[in-house]
Amino acid sequence: MGGAKTVKIITKKDLDSFISNLIKEKKYEIIGVKSKGERFVFDTLEDAKELRLDHDVTILPPKKYFLPQYETLMQFNLEKQFEVKPEDEAKPRIILGIHPYDIIALEQMDKVYLDSQKDDFYKKRRENTILIACDIQNVSDRSFAASMKTNTTDKGFDLLLTKIEDKYTITIGSEKGKQLLEKYAKTSDAKENDIKKIDAARKKILNKYKKKVILPKEEWPSVLVANYDSGIWEERSDKCVECSSCTMVCPTCYCYDVKDTVSLNLKNGTRTRTWDGCMLREFTRVGSGEVFREEIKDRYRHRYFRKGNYLPARYGFTACVGCGRCGIACLPDIADPCDVMNSLAHHPKSNDTTRFFIKQETKVAETNTIHVPRKATIKRIEKLTDAEKLFEIELDDKKPLGGMPGQFVEISIFGVGEAPFGLASPPSDSPTFEMAVRKVGNVTSKLHEMNVGDKIGVRGPLGNGFDIKAMEGKHLLLTSGGIGMYPMRSLIKYVLDKKNRKKFKNVIILYGAKRPKEILFLNEIQDWKKCQDTTCELTVDRCEQGECWSDSIGLITTLFPKIRVDKLDSKNTIAVVVGPPVMYKFVIKSLQIMGIPDDNIFVSLERRMKCGVGKCGHCQINGVYVCKEGPVFNYNQIKNLPEAFE
Amino acid sequence: MKQKPRVAVFDFADCEGCELQIANLEEEILDLLQIVDIVSFREVMKEHSDSYDIAIVEGSIMRPMDEQRLRDIRSKAKILVALGACACIGGVNKLRNQWMHDEVVRTVYGDVPVHGNKLFDVFKTKALNEIVPVDYYIHGCPIDRDEFKHVITSLALGKKPDIPRYPVCVECKKNENICQFELGNYCLGPITRAGCGAICPTNGSPCDGCRGLIKKAETECVWQVLERYNLSYEDIRRRCTMYNYGKEECQVDE
Repeated sequence: MGGAKTVKIITKKDLDSFISNLIKEKKYEIIGVKSKGERFVFDTLEDAKELRLDHDVTILPPKKYFLPQYETLMQFNLEKQFEVKPEDEAKPRIILGIHPYDIIALEQMDKVYLDSQKDDFYKKRRENTILIACDIQNVSDRSFAASMKTNTTDKGFDLLLTKIEDKYTITIGSEKGKQLLEKYAKTSDAKENDIKKIDAARKKILNKYKKKVILPKEEWPSVLVANYDSGIWEERSDKCVECSSCTMVCPTCYCYDVKDTVSLNLKNGTRTRTWDGCMLREFTRVGSGEVFREEIKDRYRHRYFRKGNYLPARYGFTACVGCGRCGIACLPDIADPCDVMNSLAHHPKSNDTTRFFIKQETKVAETNTIHVPRKATIKRIEKLTDAEKLFEIELDDKKPLGGMPGQFVEISIFGVGEAPFGLASPPSDSPTFEMAVRKVGNVTSKLHEMNVGDKIGVRGPLGNGFDIKAMEGKHLLLTSGGIGMYPMRSLIKYVLDKKNRKKFKNVIILYGAKRPKEILFLNEIQDWKKCQDTTCELTVDRCEQGECWSDSIGLITTLFPKIRVDKLDSKNTIAVVVGPPVMYKFVIKSLQIMGIPDDNIFVSLERRMKCGVGKCGHCQINGVYVCKEGPVFNYNQIKNLPEAFE
Repeated sequence: MKQKPRVAVFDFADCEGCELQIANLEEEILDLLQIVDIVSFREVMKEHSDSYDIAIVEGSIMRPMDEQRLRDIRSKAKILVALGACACIGGVNKLRNQWMHDEVVRTVYGDVPVHGNKLFDVFKTKALNEIVPVDYYIHGCPIDRDEFKHVITSLALGKKPDIPRYPVCVECKKNENICQFELGNYCLGPITRAGCGAICPTNGSPCDGCRGLIKKAETECVWQVLERYNLSYEDIRRRCTMYNYGKEECQVDE
């Protein structure tokens, strides 16, 4: 426990003066636990007397000081088209009275927000805040922290207060904490007997916990995985009001949404980040209107799996600290993980706890900010169909975008918003890249109205592209449907490039669209057909009278019998499939019939990639982030993810 | 610069409070005038024109003559925006639908003869979308000025306004309020469309559902809540009646 750490003693009176000194100094904003009616909240302290260290639990966790409810990410000037000012609010703060479970929750949040793609805003706030924790004196009726082993902690704080009789011990957790104490507080050294009292004080309240998880948290993943299809999710979610209060008050829920607002004169605007919740239907909605977790039972289950299986598989921690806030906040009382896990306690277990997760290293480019886009200019616009245009974009810093076919970029139009787009061009040394855009939502509609010379913002390239290395020396069977041709084009152009062509064997391109007029890049397709050892088969779903069409008519799968087996040795073929959700099931079946192993099949999936860096939570397919592990996946890796091809 | 859209503001049965919210933009009115031309707005100006692109319509529809006027407005406007609870969902005016017309007249006007007077020729109160298609809604009683600005700037930028489709609880939790249910009150927050910043619960009153219901009141989950907090079905019915009489569920615009 705290044995190895320095422990000081402070009297109640000196603790008050310590806090008063800090408030008077005005160097820091002093936050502490205050009462609000019958409940408690973290709020700015005007007076040391306001501080309550006997609280059971606060309404919201201290997460609000690191990922605020509403946070300005940047301000932009619409008249100058692109002048972005990132917010620089990182006021030094001291937060007093944080319970151990909230300290543990913050440590977990660090793993998510300070991973390889660091959230610069969170990082600044974290660095500028001193945490003065406090051992629990009163236990909330709904807390089950003791059985989650989060009722105490020996790290993660700068200072830790423990009430022993009429005074406090202060355990020093960091150099920052030590200096603060030396400068502002009158303390004495703790004696061995005092240190013993810390443990006694902690033990004394253990019997105050009314709730207890009988299923140890280490077993949550195995029980959840085995009970993915259990009726319990539907049974409980039938009572769900879908208000997402459970996620709002949770110290381990970090999902967010980002929105642009503009001033009434349309001159300035603000990009704001705000908390979002996976229990809300809109959470998974993409630009085209599709909602990927439509049923409440699936959203309800997702929350428990995220806490008890997905995050444990990814980061190694159980994303529930037993604070009990969700239990208090949930009106029909169905959100308490303690109740849910206890009801599953005697259910079967599975050994395959990483079944819904892909362990994969994502190669990430170092950036100073994950939020602020690079400035870019529209260089060329080409109309593809009535609803689609191809844009050539040049980065204003004249540096090449880099990246691989299959990766995506987040495109910003300030005032309208940001949306993900697959690259339609192969990587090159020039600072330009291409993307094709179908007019469906706000960002795409606005892009369609824009002209050459207009400015946009670019973040990326993001995600994982096609595994080119795995394709080398192999035959390639490239199947795309509809706008799946956008990312496929980046791959085809890369493969057919004279520099690269020799690395691959025969190339067969299959492409289908609804109508002849919706076939994209027809001129380029004619060129592709002329390439050596390359065949290209096209089909349309239907062809009206008067439309000119000499290729196949029928769904994409009608093209498969046309493939000459001698051109493809199925074991040495890599198949790539990109298309609308309905297409995958049928195409993959055809590929399997041809004898192509699942491991040789690659797919690219669409979800709501909002942040693009594995934070905001919107694009999750079970435990997988499409924006990080995808959008290109090896089929073998994701075929067992129930949410992948629903 | 592109020609500014021409905007006209109209009202029907209402208190004109939502229009007042626009007038209350004060100096920001000048900003508004930079992006749109206001060609008709009875509450604040004398001029009127029948040539407009966007009609902002406040109030609910009560009479055949109102219905005709609304249809006329719709035929002239490219975009029709419903302003405030009366226009969006019928609002408090729908309370009248609980009683027979004669009973209402007798209660309000007593013995004053109104029979045959066209002004009193009323049918059951209707929201705008019960008569004509509505393109966008600015909910609330009264409307939230920031949301009004959001809708106007969105239309000016050519984007679809982003109106919340989730309940007031989301915003109420962000404001760190003590739940009204915990305080023993019945609150419509869990089934009412957000976007108001949970202004009522934040200031101590339970939500009355002025922004429309996004979930039926008679669902298992609501029953569960009522039972848990020892509230009766009568409680919820009475609260829903205030703004959502006769409406099981507000349509959640896709």
